[in-house]
Amino acid sequence: MPKNLKGREVAEIMQDKCIACQICIGVCPVGAISMEGNTVKINPEACIGCGKCRDVCPVSAVLFKRPSKKKLTFPQQKPAPLEDYKGVAVFIETHNGAAADVSWELAGKARELADKLGVRVSGYLAGAGVEPLAQQAISYGCDDVYMIDNPAFGSYIPRVYSTALVQLCRQSKPEILLIGASPLGRDLAPCVATLLETGLTADCTGLDVDLQERLLLMTRPTFGGNIMATIFCKSHRPQMSTVRPRLFKAPRPDPTHKGEIHKIDFSYPQDRLPHILEFTATALEAGAADITRSPVLVTIGKGACRAEHVPMFQELADMLGGTIACSRPVVEAGLMSYARQVGQTGKTVTPKIYIGIGVSGSMQHMAGIQGAETIVAINSDPAAPIVQAADYSLIGDYREIVPALISRLKNKVANLAGSKP
Amino acid sequence: MPDTAQVKIDPDTNTLVRTGVESICNPYDVVAVAAAVQLVGKHGGKVTVISMGPSQAEAALRECLAQGAQEAVLLSDRSFAGADTLATSYVLSQAIRKIAANEPVDLIICGKQAIDGDTAQTGPGIAARLGYDHFTYVSQIFEVKPDEKTIIVIREVEGGRVTVTGYLPALLTAELDLAVPRYASLPEFIRSLRQGIKTWQAADIGVEPERAGLKGSPTWVKEIFTPPVRKGGPVFDFSRDGEKAVDEFVDQFVVHEAGRIAAILSVKA
Repeated sequence: MPKNLKGREVAEIMQDKCIACQICIGVCPVGAISMEGNTVKINPEACIGCGKCRDVCPVSAVLFKRPSKKKLTFPQQKPAPLEDYKGVAVFIETHNGAAADVSWELAGKARELADKLGVRVSGYLAGAGVEPLAQQAISYGCDDVYMIDNPAFGSYIPRVYSTALVQLCRQSKPEILLIGASPLGRDLAPCVATLLETGLTADCTGLDVDLQERLLLMTRPTFGGNIMATIFCKSHRPQMSTVRPRLFKAPRPDPTHKGEIHKIDFSYPQDRLPHILEFTATALEAGAADITRSPVLVTIGKGACRAEHVPMFQELADMLGGTIACSRPVVEAGLMSYARQVGQTGKTVTPKIYIGIGVSGSMQHMAGIQGAETIVAINSDPAAPIVQAADYSLIGDYREIVPALISRLKNKVANLAGSKP
Repeated sequence: MPDTAQVKIDPDTNTLVRTGVESICNPYDVVAVAAAVQLVGKHGGKVTVISMGPSQAEAALRECLAQGAQEAVLLSDRSFAGADTLATSYVLSQAIRKIAANEPVDLIICGKQAIDGDTAQTGPGIAARLGYDHFTYVSQIFEVKPDEKTIIVIREVEGGRVTVTGYLPALLTAELDLAVPRYASLPEFIRSLRQGIKTWQAADIGVEPERAGLKGSPTWVKEIFTPPVRKGGPVFDFSRDGEKAVDEFVDQFVVHEAGRIAAILSVKA
């Protein structure tokens, strides 16, 4: 244990573990910690050896051996009257009067969390001509649907939507609010969280509850998907989270499930609001099949990024009823459009069968395919990360393997298709 | 911000390997500055760059000055450290309020997202606090009419792009194709090194310390871990066994995955 000139035992940062989150700087009562280079440093002469930095460090990068008095000492925050907040709420995102799939995926997850907590599920439905969706929301697990059906919600205007959601939260006081991490949700959620002055965790890939503390545990990839962090929001309500589409399976609708529909009056001054002049569907998106819905993905990686081989990959994909996808370097090389990119910066996919050809399997890519049921890797490098994780790996030159695979699979697949009613 | 493209995890010790990680300007922020400089070149006015962070952030601010920004403000205070997005947007909005009290603010341009946290929350959060309209994922500023206080932008959304018009003051978050950053000329570079950077602390911008930094952050990290790894299955070595490897693979694959393949093909048919 290092000591300073006054003979006091002081804390030290283990440079190789520090992730520079700077939480310790915030708790240090004497300002002894500062950023230096890419990590934090403790000035031993200023350190009073209280150990607070060790207690809050999320990666145990503080070397301080004296046992702490408390397990965790977070600074005192003015707590909201938490017991006033009950229930799990879900924002039901709509486009042209139809619900986005992620809304029902979240309704299912909300049901599961609410059953654990013994509370009700609320659906927040705001849109133009959305009345038919209210009953649908109930069949997907909502006990209460708060509905604002108003022409002002025809297109997404952040100020209008966020004000409406804030009003609904103040009225129904949910302890948890889930929003899809779609482009719309990722825009809306921070406005709502800021106006309610509560915590928001973006792009979660896992949700659970700590029943003892009644806390939502939100897990998300951070540092570009290299590490996962579990985040909680202790003293502010609602606990808000955005969740990536297609991470959770939408439940089977249950038409017998009963719920209440509450129509909410909401008006917003219409002057000086932004408005949409034009919408153009991008040609690429219109032509390309949606890789998030395809049951089979033949994914091209950097090692197979050759235009002349695309027809061969397409043949394999067609035979299995699938679609071509790709990894990031292939988009960067200009061979495929961004709409086909799988991974942390592309799309999260959940195919039944994923075949990666020349895909090395970076953490970022693997984060996007963790929901794939079966992974097949075709790679020349037996040490590639994807080979370590794949259910089947074929090692060798894809230019020889893929044609051999196509000719052998053809008959088998025809037989399987024929044997099935 | 650490440049995350270079951050790797050491598989043996499960810790971050930090060699070669430099603090740089986030590429989205570079584009945001370039767009602001272009607008000011066209319509007049002034570009002020603001960053909240430790004194190392000065280097990033100088990079922005070299890109053509006229003024740089560093928000640095011990009470700002450890902030989540709620506390960050609070401090930044206080700084903008201070600037707006002295000279009109028409437009705030933020990068679409940070590259390490990837949360994309701060921009909309600032707009909500200031009561400005905001436009996220902007790939083009189509038109700005400073006299009429209107703006037309093109946003990238799911399945296409929308052209939206709104009123100033407003906040935009920049996609990478919003502007092409230009390299600084030598005189600009020298000016950027000479120019002073304002440093504002909590008291300078009326920040209540309990709403900033760690104290003002509702979200806490419970734990950090590496993602669970899938367990690999059989490996068929084509480079050693040739076509026999493919035969063996197909035999196993068709037996074990028969259900999946049939289900997929029945949907297809």
